[in-house]
Amino acid sequence: MKSEQELEGFYNSKLLPDLEALEVERKAIAKRFWMLLLLFFVLAGAGAAFAGLWEMFEVAIGCGIAAVVMLVVMLIMHHSKKGKFVHKFKNVIVNDIVKFVGPELNYHPKDGINIGAYMQSTIYPRRPDRYVTEDLVTGMYGDTHLAFSEVHSQYKTTTVNHKGQTRTTWHTIFDGVFFIADFNKHFKGRTVVLPDTMEKMFGRLGKFFQKMNFSRPPLVKLEDPEFEKHFAVYGDDQVETRYILSTSLMQRIVDFRSKTSSGVALSFVGSHVYVAIPITKNLFEPNLFKTNINFNLIKEYYYYLWLAIGIVEDLNLNTRIWTKE
Amino acid sequence: MSPLVITGIIIGVVILLFILIYNGLIGKKNQVENAFASIDTMLKKRYDLIPNLVSAVKTYMTHEKEVLTQITAYRSQAMSGNLSSEEKVELDNKITKTMGGIMVAVENYPDLKSNTNFIQLQRTLNEVEEQISASRRFYNTAVTEYNNAVEMFPSSIIAGMKGMTRKKVFEIPEVERENVKVGDLFNS
Repeated sequence: MKSEQELEGFYNSKLLPDLEALEVERKAIAKRFWMLLLLFFVLAGAGAAFAGLWEMFEVAIGCGIAAVVMLVVMLIMHHSKKGKFVHKFKNVIVNDIVKFVGPELNYHPKDGINIGAYMQSTIYPRRPDRYVTEDLVTGMYGDTHLAFSEVHSQYKTTTVNHKGQTRTTWHTIFDGVFFIADFNKHFKGRTVVLPDTMEKMFGRLGKFFQKMNFSRPPLVKLEDPEFEKHFAVYGDDQVETRYILSTSLMQRIVDFRSKTSSGVALSFVGSHVYVAIPITKNLFEPNLFKTNINFNLIKEYYYYLWLAIGIVEDLNLNTRIWTKE
Repeated sequence: MSPLVITGIIIGVVILLFILIYNGLIGKKNQVENAFASIDTMLKKRYDLIPNLVSAVKTYMTHEKEVLTQITAYRSQAMSGNLSSEEKVELDNKITKTMGGIMVAVENYPDLKSNTNFIQLQRTLNEVEEQISASRRFYNTAVTEYNNAVEMFPSSIIAGMKGMTRKKVFEIPEVERENVKVGDLFNS
């Protein structure tokens, strides 16, 4: 991890000129938005005046229609301008921060982890009905190949009420950063590390329910009491699961959980490690009505990027003393 | 309900409980054996690597010939097959210690350290060591579960009747806990 001084130096020398250029564009978009909004209120006010004061209803209706049409056009234009600005901002600023963290990493704001890889992890076995992903970072960090992006997966339920009306409700399966990296050891089976909600709520009875969970591989009981308190581990092969989850890795996972979120889940499948970090915030979005020339904003982007890229160091993935290079 | 039916139900429940607990105990006992077998497999992997290690280092290590002969001897002893589990564990500890010594001695031979074949071998050995440690942990968990069942009520009653007793967990041997003293290893 880079120090705050390094980040500040980078901010002043590299990001500031770009941020200033983008600020001009941002101001223009915001200004146009406010101008059009003002025009809308003038038209609407005029309509109201014609109708209320002078009882000229034809003119009033004309003003009303013009105001509504303007509002629609304004919103469409604003949306497209905003999209272009956000894309440009991400391509310049976020891309630079990604390169600052890892020169061999690439940033693709419109791409994401595909649903195939997400399902392959088996962390969330339920197939989502809606899957949205953006802000993909991919490439090499040290000796480790990694990829991560924002992912929001949902499933829907439809209920029919007594009047025969159907209602669709969307439920979030996962919302946050989904991370995949090449693991430094070879393995064949599946190992899934999930937050231990059952045991926390129901104690020993929870353990019983975990054992009865047939949608998962068998439960593996590990020795580290702190790790066991936070996580439930399922694995195809008892020895292989312990080979992957060495005592030091268990400690590292506990530390990682304490610095991120209690909902962190991991899996080890097909020679890869998958990490799901729930974060409800939409990341790397610039402000439109507030200045982006703000070191704290950049610090926040850096923090979230490092949270994911830093997994390589948190889980010691660059150490390649085993047969896998 | 007649007393006879009630007695019948009680006896039925007791028998059912007996069967469930007994099967649970047997399951745990077999898990322990299974875990021991997995250690055995990993140890065999390591035995297979010993000749490679010896041939890789012997041209370089001119001063440590004795240690190399010794480890080869240990290997043939282990491969002979007719050893009890305790003997196996003891021999395994000796091999661990000697191999640790060889790996430390490698530090004195820069040519060997940078030899690609040797680096590959070192990686494989690391992996095998990690797997051995994983299977030992599996064994210890299995033994702990078995011991809990043997000592806790009510399964302890059935365990007592069937003559099942506590099993020992794998302890990290004293020699492994100490730092390896390379000098001593080669002077002996």
